Amino acid sequence: MNATDIQIAICGSAGDGTIAAGDILRNAVAAAGYRVICFDVYPPEIRGFGKCISRLRITTEQSYSLKRQSDVLVSLDDSHTIPHAGEVRDNGAVIFESQPISPCAEGEHMSGHVLPGQIPYGFPIRELAQKATGGARSRNLVVLGFIAGLLGLAPASFQKIIEKKFAKQGPKVVARNQAGFQAGFDAGKGSFKLDDAAFGPFEKPASAGKVIMLSGNAAVVQGCIDAELATFFGYPITPATTIMERLATELPKRGHRLLQTEDEISAMAATVGAGFAGARAATATSGPGLALMAEMLGLATITETPCVIFVSQRGGPSTGMPTKTEQSDLNAALYGSPGDAQRIVIAPTNVEGCYRCAGKAFEMAERYQTPVIVLLDLYLSNRYETVTLAASGPPFVLDANKPLRRLEPGEVYKRYALTADGVSPRAVPGDAGCMHVITGLEHNELGRPNDSAEMHTAMSRKRHDKLQAALEHPDFAVTKRFGNTGRVKVGILAWGSTFGECLEAMFMAQAEGIVCSAMKVVMLSPFPTKAISAFMDDCDAVLVPEVNYEGQFAQLVQGVLARPVVRLSRVPSSPMPVELILGEIRRLSGVTASAIAS
Amino acid sequence: MSIPIMPVYVDVKLREVQESGRLDYRSRSLPTWCPGCGYFAIVEGMTHACNEMGIPRDQAVVVSGIGCSSRFPFFVDLYGVHTLHGRALPVATGIKTANDRLTVIAVGGDGDGFAIGGGHISHAAKRNVDITYLLFDNGIYGLTKGQTSPLSAVGLKTTTTPFENPERPLNPLMMLLSYGASWVGQAYAGRPDHLREMITQAIAHRGFSYLHILSPCVTFDKTSKTYVNLGLQTRDLPESHDPGDLMAAMHQAQDLDHPALGLYYQQFRPTLGDTFEQVIAKSGGSSS
Repeated sequence: MNATDIQIAICGSAGDGTIAAGDILRNAVAAAGYRVICFDVYPPEIRGFGKCISRLRITTEQSYSLKRQSDVLVSLDDSHTIPHAGEVRDNGAVIFESQPISPCAEGEHMSGHVLPGQIPYGFPIRELAQKATGGARSRNLVVLGFIAGLLGLAPASFQKIIEKKFAKQGPKVVARNQAGFQAGFDAGKGSFKLDDAAFGPFEKPASAGKVIMLSGNAAVVQGCIDAELATFFGYPITPATTIMERLATELPKRGHRLLQTEDEISAMAATVGAGFAGARAATATSGPGLALMAEMLGLATITETPCVIFVSQRGGPSTGMPTKTEQSDLNAALYGSPGDAQRIVIAPTNVEGCYRCAGKAFEMAERYQTPVIVLLDLYLSNRYETVTLAASGPPFVLDANKPLRRLEPGEVYKRYALTADGVSPRAVPGDAGCMHVITGLEHNELGRPNDSAEMHTAMSRKRHDKLQAALEHPDFAVTKRFGNTGRVKVGILAWGSTFGECLEAMFMAQAEGIVCSAMKVVMLSPFPTKAISAFMDDCDAVLVPEVNYEGQFAQLVQGVLARPVVRLSRVPSSPMPVELILGEIRRLSGVTASAIAS
Repeated sequence: MSIPIMPVYVDVKLREVQESGRLDYRSRSLPTWCPGCGYFAIVEGMTHACNEMGIPRDQAVVVSGIGCSSRFPFFVDLYGVHTLHGRALPVATGIKTANDRLTVIAVGGDGDGFAIGGGHISHAAKRNVDITYLLFDNGIYGLTKGQTSPLSAVGLKTTTTPFENPERPLNPLMMLLSYGASWVGQAYAGRPDHLREMITQAIAHRGFSYLHILSPCVTFDKTSKTYVNLGLQTRDLPESHDPGDLMAAMHQAQDLDHPALGLYYQQFRPTLGDTFEQVIAKSGGSSS
């Protein structure tokens, strides 16, 4: 069986059903057993004529990022698709409307922009839709059918997904859409064959767990549910909103509570309140909301209150680019609060990681009595991947609190008792005899205000030291190295969603004979100094690719370790192109362009 | 106000206080307020209310913001959260969301509540969170040594209004009544017996109860909200006042020259906790 690796891009105008077509396609191929990565790009406006693109990479083995070049590009709107003609590989297909509804001015039809080497597949999309369904609205399903027919995908799983998706709108709509798909399928099957891009016969692999399709935000929600999140407070903000929206449906079903607050300040405040009361509590936001939460995060730090904050980054500063991805809130996540901002910051690198980090965040928050920020970004929040959930059930500890000892008669409860590991057994309201006040003022072991130099030093040390244990947190990979072991020419050090692109680039470089490896850094605070230092010892050069302008992670690494790294900081408003990383790896390994060509 | 005819002896009074059991609700910390501050009466009132109602000390949480008044949680022996400036209400909402069984009392000053925290009051009232909000109004920022507040009178000289405060104060009772608070009352620290009765009623109310407490700042305000002035200005709500009549309550709240003490308005409607349970029932889930 040959490994399948096909990337399809569907491009249209808002309202063409572009994203819906991508949704059906990814669910159909996932149901057939393929692994999928999918990322949609859409405009910030709900209505209008903004550009929508849905890109899907379909593989037999899990891939780590989208490819720069698609194998198939579908145009539902030529004016938007023409600029993307170049992203189709040589011998790839460009699918477009062959009979436009009105005469096209010169240069406005897709056919004039198909590049030499690309294979044009023009067919009467609108006409087929009208014939099959009596209207032009199912154009997106006709092209889906065409793709399936052309590439040899079985129509059964598509028909099932279409039925499910349109079931609410009644059997007529289902039948109409299925007819549209079938018309496209027949046309695709009857068309001339596209060489070296086809789905071969494929046996669904036996899996150790349940494979489901999730977006990053949906995986966060699944992690929250499996970790038995009891209370959630939030305020809508792109691209984090879908976390709250999904939880609004899922939490009540489990007897839990969600409140949409008046702003992010109160969302964070209520999260701290619920955490103090002993419930698992979380909020979700993006950069601007994180800024409003900063003061309250400091209160969570000094009062040692467990709480979890999901932050999905978007382009900044300020309102920035709400529907474009970026990794520029690292500094805000690490340092954004008055005073020493001791806290845990973790950043998953793929959708499965979103699930694990979400669940583990609650464990860490309780065990180390601290706010935990889970740092996502738009690319990770909105992209879809197939995820394998362990058959043995959720891998999360549901109560990670340090046990509270019964008080001796006459003993006064010390909320901030100085202990060997820095974690003090925590009483919550309702625990008999343990009444205490938590405060944003520096305090003594009892929690009473105290601003002596000795006490401030002792408490600062406590809050700092207790977090170090998180670097050894059970069943959690703080860092992970991939690729060549031992001495390497180039080591890539990366965090967050960009790591997928780094891994793809590393594999491509290895295929070219470059000895290299990549390390993902999942825990950003406390900083895994030892692991990263050991990795850097092995590398002739260390490359740090990240999607922000100032090189925030590179600054962090250099600041902590005082060792040089090569920065690759870019703000392309989209994921970091794999070729860009590959180019840097080549350059650093001393491989010249001519050597590769030969 | 009735003037006591019998003399009060210290030892008798002390014994009475000790035997009442309300000192159990006092913490071992001495209040940090200036001698003569009206807030002492509020601590007394609250310990009295908790004692009267038999609230277990480990089942109550006092949540405060920042300011003189917000040191309050340290002076009672209950669970407490001394939060950030202006954020007592959302923290209290979170606590109550996590655990309905707790008695949650938010306390704070006029600056904390109506300046920096002003955005939260309307939402706590609208949601009818089952908490009590005691607002200590001394019309000045005391902890930062005497700056003007949103409830300072026109003409008050403070360190930030050396040429007299030109802005007219907010009308907090009108705001709360229009926000939909389900219990709105006013008391005066100079009338401790009435005050503690009002605090008890406010805590007993099921829903969001707002008690506005007029209280002199003896250190930084020698001219406006003094014991002498407030003693002369305050009056009781007329006996005929019907707490079910929102328009009558608003009518009374208009009189800022002669603030009326008592229960302005009370309404019974589902609390935030009730609505959570409704949502859970609608979703087909059951409470955990």
